[in-house]
Amino acid sequence: MLLEVYTSKVMSKRTSPTGNTSKPSPMAQRKDVVRAEKLQAGYAGEAVCGVVSFSLHSAQALALVGPNGAGKSTVVKTLVGQLEPVSGTTLINGAEVDDRTLDFRREVAVVFDDDAFFPSLTVEEHLAIVSAGHGVDDVEAVIADELEFFGLSALAKSRPYNLSSGQRRRMLLAAAFVRPRSLLVLDEPEQRLDTAMRHKLATRLRAEVDAGLALLVVTHDPDFLSTVATKAIFISDTIHAMTPTQAATAIASENPHAD
Amino acid sequence: MTTTTTERLSAKEIRNYTFKAGLSRTEGGLMELVSEVYTSILGGLTLLTMAGALIVALRHSLGVGNESALLATAVAPGFHSVTLLQASATVLLTLAAGLLSLEMTMGPVAMTLPQTAWWLGLPVRRRGFIQPGFLKSMLWPTIAAVIVVLPLSLGMASSPTPGRLALAVLCGAGLAWLLYGIASWCQITGSGAWLKKVMGVITLLAPLTLVATALYNNVAGSHASTGAQTAWLKYLPTSWPLLVADGATWPLLIVALALGLLTLVYVNLERITTAALKKSAAAGAYAASSLLSMDATELSRSLSTGPATGTSNVRLPMIFKRGTVHARSIKTLASTHATMALRSPSTLLRVLVLAAIPASLASVEFLGNAILIAVALYLCAHFAATALGATARFANGNPAVDTLMPLPATTVRRVHYVVPAVAMTIWAPVCFGLLLALGVGSPPLLILAILAGPGLGAATLRAGFKPAPDWNMPAVASPTGPIPTGAIKSFLSGPDLSLIVLLPVLICLISGGVPSIAFPIQLTLTWLAFLWGTHVRKPKSAKQAGGLFGTPPATARQ
Repeated sequence: MLLEVYTSKVMSKRTSPTGNTSKPSPMAQRKDVVRAEKLQAGYAGEAVCGVVSFSLHSAQALALVGPNGAGKSTVVKTLVGQLEPVSGTTLINGAEVDDRTLDFRREVAVVFDDDAFFPSLTVEEHLAIVSAGHGVDDVEAVIADELEFFGLSALAKSRPYNLSSGQRRRMLLAAAFVRPRSLLVLDEPEQRLDTAMRHKLATRLRAEVDAGLALLVVTHDPDFLSTVATKAIFISDTIHAMTPTQAATAIASENPHAD
Repeated sequence: MTTTTTERLSAKEIRNYTFKAGLSRTEGGLMELVSEVYTSILGGLTLLTMAGALIVALRHSLGVGNESALLATAVAPGFHSVTLLQASATVLLTLAAGLLSLEMTMGPVAMTLPQTAWWLGLPVRRRGFIQPGFLKSMLWPTIAAVIVVLPLSLGMASSPTPGRLALAVLCGAGLAWLLYGIASWCQITGSGAWLKKVMGVITLLAPLTLVATALYNNVAGSHASTGAQTAWLKYLPTSWPLLVADGATWPLLIVALALGLLTLVYVNLERITTAALKKSAAAGAYAASSLLSMDATELSRSLSTGPATGTSNVRLPMIFKRGTVHARSIKTLASTHATMALRSPSTLLRVLVLAAIPASLASVEFLGNAILIAVALYLCAHFAATALGATARFANGNPAVDTLMPLPATTVRRVHYVVPAVAMTIWAPVCFGLLLALGVGSPPLLILAILAGPGLGAATLRAGFKPAPDWNMPAVASPTGPIPTGAIKSFLSGPDLSLIVLLPVLICLISGGVPSIAFPIQLTLTWLAFLWGTHVRKPKSAKQAGGLFGTPPATARQ
């Protein structure tokens, strides 16, 4: 139904497509997509980890790694404006983070482990809301492609609460891919995915990063990190910038100083 | 790869699609909900009819007046009630504080969790998602204001005319809008935590002032508080509708003030952060699940502070060295349950406040109707019993917890019974003692209530270990979204046993006397309730001939 409304609307008022927006716009190229300056994240004014400063360009993937409870997810939530910073600032595409602005929602795709679904809508209807809401040109084809990629084609008409938790996770990830994005933020995307899917996702993400996507990812999986990341930050009692190889070794041994 | 056009759907189109697509596949109907609980409904009606017949027969045999049982007052002759003004002003103050506290917790601009997750990230104007919830949510306080203010104005006005009553209702609506506007502004600016705390305290304490005043009046005799001493209460802003009902017009300024504030809020609606909307959505989901479990404490918590957090220093011994392994396990389990109860003093306080609410009603002469007090008693007893069921509900949701000790399932369930049974046996004399102090009931009724206490503990377990609704069954459309068939049956599990256990007490309260046959009946019902409440349902797989791979069912091995 949504697709019909949307298709008729597009056909009647069609203008030329703005192009493939998973590639960074010329304005965004060579510029910081994310810049965090002396950022300290926490709850109710109380910091949960040290001060983080970094910049992330297009065609770069930054992995935040570290032990459970170190504050990685809190940092990411602060970076995308879901939490107030204890101190410091974050700029996304040169503007202060504000998830109420249209530009932010147009450019930034975020996947947390939010298990909240409309119980009466099917998998493909959830994806249709995101895709059509973002003005994607060929909604049905895009959704079909992503369902196939995430192994959900046979479950397109299923409702989320009839899926396994791993399948619901795939659905959440698919929602980030049926829409345009210049920055993708993923919090432990490997969670609840089987090994084959993890590998497939990591390979695809790397290809998208090489094509210009800026990726910020929290992960505990050394293989995923090695495939995807171009740089890493280890968050523990102290903060260390690392190469992906060093970070993969560190999370394998939980030793931030591993070479 | 995705390509975009300049054409996007509007928020309204996305909202419409979400609702229509969901309802287009609704597989059940209202009758499916009703049909599966018709035995419960029929049983309840039969029970009430029998209770009514018993009341009439009992009143006749006891020779308690000739008036209808429906009109019978439970208050003793010569009782010094609180003034009508104090009662009305307290009711208005409590409701207003409760409304503001509730609105500040639930939003008041509210969305559901899926809506916040799937809509708010879309690059369309957020006003289209937020505004409908803002406008719809205004309806409830308006309706509440009309329902509360109209009867109070009718009762309080010296010469009520339709015009004055209409203006009083308008003033009440204005008050409700003002509170709604304040709560909305706090949501937009992320402020007002202190205000919410103050409102919570007022909601809890204000009804108790009625009991305290009534007790004082009945002790003080000629020094009882007079209407002149409580006249100032009508100048509280929450009492202004009563002034308007008496002919004053200046309090109507509150309407202009409210409209001004609502306009300010409307203009700034899009300033509400995603985090604030998600927080209120989570609070709404928590409240809905609390309502489904009929748990007064969880509901009250969900409508005030949210899930319990923090630490407690309460420590009870949990390791015992004397006795058999069986006895020591029982002691450890009982001690754990007692520790969990004592670590939640706010729950115990709420249980105590619930014991005082029937007395609050009785302290107001025109609210001293026996049936009204009986209904309040039933509700308060059930809410108090379910408030004590946190441990049972936790064990129901996490069955592995009850298998930690080397004890049979029935024994574990009976240990669960100890804390709520003891607590409700203490609750009963507190509640009926307060009523007795206000001249409601009699010492034999108090003893009967104490005998019912352990039965209410069994109702705690029945409510705590109720089966969850089956979400795989066909869903039925409702204004709040799809609900599964089986939800009502699950909802009634617990309130039914509370009613059966309390029936002798309630019948005797309404009848105005306690015949000696009531005691053995009450004892029998309490015993049956114990057996019912502590009965362990066999899981479906264990009802078959054998367990997995032909092994004996799990329960048979215990």
